[in-house]
Amino acid sequence: MKEALRIDQLTVDYEKISALWEISLDIPSAQLVAIVGPNGAGKSTLVKTILGLIKPVCGTISLQKGKQVSYVPQRQSVDWDFPITVYDLVMMGRYCKLRFYERPSRIDRKIVEECLDRVGLSGVKHQQISQLSGGQQGRAFIARALVSEADLYFLDEPFAGIDEASSQVINEILVELKGEGKTLFVVHHDLEEVKQRFDYAILLNRRLVASGVIDQVMTKENLKRAFGKENLLFDRLTKLTEQKAMGFTA
Amino acid sequence: MILDPVLRAPLLGSMLMALIASLIGVLLFVRKRTLIGEALSHASYPGVTLAILISGWISAEWVILLAAFISSLLGFGLINFLKKRLKVKEDAALSFVLATFFGMGTLVASIVSRTHSFQFRQIQVFLYGQAATMGDGHVLFYALFALFVIALLVVFYRSFLVCSFDPHFAKISQLGSKVIESLFLATVAASVVIGIRSVGVIMMAALFIAPPIAARQFTNTFSKMFWLSALFGVTSGFLGTFLSLSGLPTGPMIVLVASLIALFSLLFAPKRGVVIRYLRVLRFRMVCVEENLLKALWHQKLVKLSPLNHFLFRWRGWIDQEGHLTELGKSLGARVVRAHRLWEAYLVYSLGMGISQVHHNAEEMEHLLTPELEEELTKLLDDPKQDPHAQPIPPREVFA
Repeated sequence: MKEALRIDQLTVDYEKISALWEISLDIPSAQLVAIVGPNGAGKSTLVKTILGLIKPVCGTISLQKGKQVSYVPQRQSVDWDFPITVYDLVMMGRYCKLRFYERPSRIDRKIVEECLDRVGLSGVKHQQISQLSGGQQGRAFIARALVSEADLYFLDEPFAGIDEASSQVINEILVELKGEGKTLFVVHHDLEEVKQRFDYAILLNRRLVASGVIDQVMTKENLKRAFGKENLLFDRLTKLTEQKAMGFTA
Repeated sequence: MILDPVLRAPLLGSMLMALIASLIGVLLFVRKRTLIGEALSHASYPGVTLAILISGWISAEWVILLAAFISSLLGFGLINFLKKRLKVKEDAALSFVLATFFGMGTLVASIVSRTHSFQFRQIQVFLYGQAATMGDGHVLFYALFALFVIALLVVFYRSFLVCSFDPHFAKISQLGSKVIESLFLATVAASVVIGIRSVGVIMMAALFIAPPIAARQFTNTFSKMFWLSALFGVTSGFLGTFLSLSGLPTGPMIVLVASLIALFSLLFAPKRGVVIRYLRVLRFRMVCVEENLLKALWHQKLVKLSPLNHFLFRWRGWIDQEGHLTELGKSLGARVVRAHRLWEAYLVYSLGMGISQVHHNAEEMEHLLTPELEEELTKLLDDPKQDPHAQPIPPREVFA
């Protein structure tokens, strides 16, 4: 089995808010990988660091070589008032395939139409993105990732705040993509769903609690270590470290 | 008028300047960074005043412009430093740079005013702009710069779109680059500097903001933003110069026209205008009242129609002379009742609400049933014949 992601001794210090400490893990390719942990555990920070959006303090990250990456951001980080229609949003996913002097071809447009149809948004493709419901917005970004035909996908909370039917559509697409040999990293908040649908998991709470095959990661002890109240003390420790580092306490 | 050589240069120059600002303004606007224009234009002021102070010896316009450009880049650098290094919020950093640089500029200007009265008048030109003294050389230069801006936007259109909307995605997909973004910011600074010559430091920022605001009211598409903004900008440039022929200052006049266009768009744009939306709300309320009346008539309750409603209902053929519903009126009333009872059924059977609570909710929801929603609802509930209160739901065919 080929490796999709290897992280070695990764430490991140992101705007002094959420940090990651000494993360090391291996994930094989063509898997559905859930990234799980409580609020503020650094799930998004991990994803952004892997994607090169945040510079780590130390450690190494190696993604499968020569593979294309696609990303679905968290819903609340999107500027929904931006003057862009659903169609143009999805077309954005094709841009990385074009050289800068090329215009989107008939094939690009066809792929966009097909993906819009696949996620059930053909009827609203000319609407501005804020006019969509939460579930439709989520599906629109999934469609953008789909058309990019990447090999590795990173989805940050694609299931947060969307309706059941939309979740179902997204779940189907995830499985389909995995079947095509793609690796998908999904930040997820629903532990039951993760246990049922995913192959691998990365369980985080600032430090790595566990990573690997789903059954071995999502055990009672591990979940307690990630979510239990024992973490409160660690939380306070981290806060204190930040304050010390910035010189706010003596 | 265009043929008059004295008027030609100021008119064309102002229009070109407005074109440049309104195009660049779109990018600043969608990135919610319009204030950067304001900050950079003020940041150029110390450069202007210092250069004029020195140009007592080397009096050349391009020296002053260059100094202004460097000064505004320094201002931009300071903004970035404050934001990235000192973690100052963007608005605070902008205000800080705006105030301190403009303060420094004013300080130098006051020194100049005491020692060199001629140079001080030159500073005034840069502060408030002086379109009237533009020559053909200026126009040619502005035209070249406008071409450069347009070329930049056309060539890197996709990169600008993605970087503005989703910078992370841009970075991952390797669509944006630091070079393009730096080039853009240098262009902003350059256009600010060139703009202050024609419309002045204080007025330049308004031309970045007003045309894009107006444009946003009329479109939901990124590319159309540029066309509309350019249209509004050029119109402002033309009308502003034209209206200032009677001897009023050109810069403020252009800004006034641009602001009026923006204000008009905010109020009256067909989809997003405040007035239009308010009228739609009124109309919706009226429809609700009418639907309630139709429903009451359908239930054969004793209803006293207001003279206006009576007239409207008669006119539309909903009621006959005695005030009874016609066939058309009955079918419309049945549609409202169907909507009400379908929603009640939905609330009880699909959402599990208590039967006693749903009537009140359905009372509001009955006015919100589009044909598509009705279709879905009918399918979802398996075309129910009765609502949860065991009342018959009028079938669809009645008003199909």
